[in-house]
Amino acid sequence: MSPFFSNRRLIVLLVCLIFLVGLIGYSLSDQRGLSWPEQFIQDSVGTVQSVFSRPAYMISNAVDSVNELRNVYEENQMLRSHLDEYAALQSELTQLQRRNDELEEAMDVQDNLLDYSVRNATVIHRSPDRWNELIGINLGAQHGIEQDMAVITSQGLIGKIRDVSQFSSSVQLLSDQDANNRISAMAESDDETIYGFMEGIDDETGHLRFTKIDVDIEVEEGMIVSTSGLGGVFPDGLTIGEIVDVTTDEYGLSQTALVEPAADYYHLDYVMVIERGASQTSLFDELDEEEEDMVPQIDPEADPDEDPAADPEAVPEEGVE
Amino acid sequence: MTRFILPAVLFFLLVFEGTVFQVFAPDNRGADLELVPRFMFILIMLTGIIRGRSYSLFYGIIFGILYDIVYSPVLGIYTFGFGFFAYLFSVSNSYVKRRPSVTALLVTAAVIGLEYYLYGMMLLLGITALPHEAIFTSRLLPSFIMNGLLAALLAVPVRAWFIRMDGADMD
Repeated sequence: MSPFFSNRRLIVLLVCLIFLVGLIGYSLSDQRGLSWPEQFIQDSVGTVQSVFSRPAYMISNAVDSVNELRNVYEENQMLRSHLDEYAALQSELTQLQRRNDELEEAMDVQDNLLDYSVRNATVIHRSPDRWNELIGINLGAQHGIEQDMAVITSQGLIGKIRDVSQFSSSVQLLSDQDANNRISAMAESDDETIYGFMEGIDDETGHLRFTKIDVDIEVEEGMIVSTSGLGGVFPDGLTIGEIVDVTTDEYGLSQTALVEPAADYYHLDYVMVIERGASQTSLFDELDEEEEDMVPQIDPEADPDEDPAADPEAVPEEGVE
Repeated sequence: MTRFILPAVLFFLLVFEGTVFQVFAPDNRGADLELVPRFMFILIMLTGIIRGRSYSLFYGIIFGILYDIVYSPVLGIYTFGFGFFAYLFSVSNSYVKRRPSVTALLVTAAVIGLEYYLYGMMLLLGITALPHEAIFTSRLLPSFIMNGLLAALLAVPVRAWFIRMDGADMD
């Protein structure tokens, strides 16, 4: 048998190591979009993955629904009791919404952090090694997905878009331990608002860490943590979870709270991608449409002989003016 | 046609690990156990042991690149890891080939080596900060056992498959 590592092989190995370090350095650099070979491979594998994941979800949902059959009666009783509250809440909500609209109009508020648009996506893969908490979804740049958009389930925030290809993209979950995985968050009590960052998970308990809280503020357990909208990409008020424990950091300069996530990070099949500021873009769209409408009104004026029958109502109106 | 079957099966396993396996993974069902599937790497290792080192090196690098791009945020880690460990542990002599138990042990050793190499790289790059004792009983040990069992199950049928495909070239 040939020797295990001959001289030539050692040189090849060294070259490979240098190549590896270079590649890692390249992929760790910030602000790096996916290059086209990566996009191509991700999209083609993503297509196959969506073919595979669909029947898997069907089977798992079928198993789940059989399990759930056992609890149907108790659940029904509970839901019925909630339903009575629902009607009262609904009327209160419409009232408050109307009041809010009026007040906003009075204050001339235009920029609302709460406005966003939602795109529904299917989870097509989850990274099998648990070192990275990444999932893949079946929407990409062609569907209007951009980097750093917020991703939620019906229960709450789960993460943000990390890489975008043309027809698929990957989502970094809040539980990912990457040092760059940081989201501006806030917790509200009756009289004050606490600001901080969501940064990875706690090693021992597995809860999310809500860090950089001012030491002077008294944080209570049970407070609800949500996105603050201050980071510029996320909308305001997406629920993250509930505070279960508070500690002061080792230097006594800030506090860290442990947050029990509201959303289930494991059982993910359908997610929603949030785009902030939808109302403003739709406003611009409306303006554009209005401008387009103006054009045919001007045309008959410039050239009245060409087609006067096309807009019979427009002519008398302009005549009055 | 027959020479495209192995890459096709490897590609199927690559997709399977991320989709179907993740839907039915125990931590998706609320258990503390985390199983990391290395089915594709097991097949690459078996290829290397039964057919020769150059095969496992080739497939390790090709599918490492795919794995890097599809599942990992950092390029190069799996490409190097699959290639290096597939080369290192593909001891393709008649003693190992004839004994499925030795083959399975060698494959399991390669999976363990790969997993610790990955853990080291992820620690180095700051992608994970979990201490070893936090993941040993919940993630590493169960994964080694599952992958080892699978290697033991596959050693005999895969060997028979390769012999049929290549003709009887066992020395």
